[in-house]
Amino acid sequence: MIETGYVQVLTAFFLVVIAFVLSRIKSIPVEKEIAYGSIRTFIQLIAVGYALEFIFKSESLYLVLLSVFIMLLVAAYTAGQRARHFKGGFAISFISLSIGSLITLGLMLVLKIISPEARYIIPLTGMIISNSMNAISITFDRIGSDLKNNRLEVETALSLGKSWREASQRFYRDAVRAGMISILNFMKTAGIVALPGAMTGMILAGVSPLKAVLIQVIVAYMLLSSLTISSIVAGEIVIRKFFNDAEQFTG
Amino acid sequence: MSSCQDSVILEARNVSRQIVANGNSKKTVDSFSYTFHKGDVYNIIGPSGAGKTSFLRLLNRLDDPSEGELLYQNKPLVSYQPTEIRKNLSLIFQEPYLFPGTVGSNMEYCKSDCTEDEIEFHLEQVGLNSQFAGKDVSELSVGEKQRVAIARSLLLKPEILLLDEPTAALDPTSSQTIELLILSLMKEFCLTAIMVTHNPEQAKRMGGKTLLMVSGRLIENGDTSELLTNPKTEQGQKYIRRELK
Ligand SMILES: Nc1ncnc2c1ncn2[C@@H]1O[C@H](COP(=O)(O)OP(=O)(O)O)[C@@H](O)[C@H]1O
Ligand SMILES: [Mg+2]
Repeated sequence: MIETGYVQVLTAFFLVVIAFVLSRIKSIPVEKEIAYGSIRTFIQLIAVGYALEFIFKSESLYLVLLSVFIMLLVAAYTAGQRARHFKGGFAISFISLSIGSLITLGLMLVLKIISPEARYIIPLTGMIISNSMNAISITFDRIGSDLKNNRLEVETALSLGKSWREASQRFYRDAVRAGMISILNFMKTAGIVALPGAMTGMILAGVSPLKAVLIQVIVAYMLLSSLTISSIVAGEIVIRKFFNDAEQFTG
Repeated sequence: MSSCQDSVILEARNVSRQIVANGNSKKTVDSFSYTFHKGDVYNIIGPSGAGKTSFLRLLNRLDDPSEGELLYQNKPLVSYQPTEIRKNLSLIFQEPYLFPGTVGSNMEYCKSDCTEDEIEFHLEQVGLNSQFAGKDVSELSVGEKQRVAIARSLLLKPEILLLDEPTAALDPTSSQTIELLILSLMKEFCLTAIMVTHNPEQAKRMGGKTLLMVSGRLIENGDTSELLTNPKTEQGQKYIRRELK
């Protein structure tokens, strides 16, 4: 196997040039994004690499916790931006992402699936948080648009004496399910349609496929747990924002 | 029928509802005061945008007034559980929404412990035979949907029916069938009906009292025949003349 170094990375830049030239010829307006994005990827990942190297070596629990906290903040901010239909998106995202990821991660530690080392906690938490972030963004979007588009259905149920929870239950369930759909689909097609990224990475880095597969199964279960928890918590908090104490639809 | 006394059932005391729409605040209902008596029929007429729907929504507590007070059986409307009081003052929307499924499942949604007999009884009340219980709601005409919506409300044993232009989407014959249906239900169950209509002819056929709303305000009220033939205000005269042609 070829040892991966800066030389190989620079050579791989040729692939970026292909994409750049092709989109230029076909006048697809992505040149800037390709140029900017490919350099950004490089710088960001190199920086992260150094940071991780430093954290792993230092073996400081505080640094691990700090990294997790920063990941949560950035993800909560990003998901919060998607909360078009209600206020407080950042706080809701932060709470639901924290609960989903900390419970999942905590269980993995308690059950001794992983050991409390930075090299496990940081990459796994990254996967958990980024996937959960996408899930709750979808849940947010879905709840808001479904409730607004189905005002008559919701208010008919209320007018018949149903509680706000009964009147909105269908939309809550649909929205949580929509948030979970990516992991549900993933589990159906895992390994068949595509090798999961983490597994590909492990195999490339020299881990035996059988070992990589086992880790990937754990990763899938871990994501299932955290996505489910985060989506449910997010949906539960958000849906209340559309109703008041008098069981009125205020959205 | 015999026990249907003429007591006060509902009172609006200087009720307003202020909303903010694209930065401007406006009153959809403005200083509305009126007393409704049990067993009577009340027509609310007025031009489009007058606040008729907004007023009915306040009575069903889908919205609350920003000023003033509503009293139901001499107690503030807000002192009752919203989920309970909405069954007493049942709102039939202008375009009825039926939940996907059968007519029967819509009835059961309303009252989970209702029996087949109950469903049939109420369907018959609104002039639909018992076979309708098994029909899918997508097969119904607008008029049939409106009747199912009324039957569904009747299951909840309401005291007051709030009807928002229940015949707006119907042809004249079906409209009159619904009107007669409402009048006969009122007699049978001693119901009070508050019915919004944009059609003074319909108010005439319903009889009872008529309330004329313009720009959120109750500008005239009285016996239907008197109000329609002899409006007191200039705005009222203009509106009635235009609508009755
Ligand atoms: N949610 C709302 N947002 C903005 N404007 C509203 C809303 N509800 C009602 N209105 C306005 O309030 C006024 C009264 O409306 P409505 O009660 O529907 O009148 P009507 O039923 O007599 O036609 C209208 O000018 C309408 O545009
Ligand atoms: Mg209206």
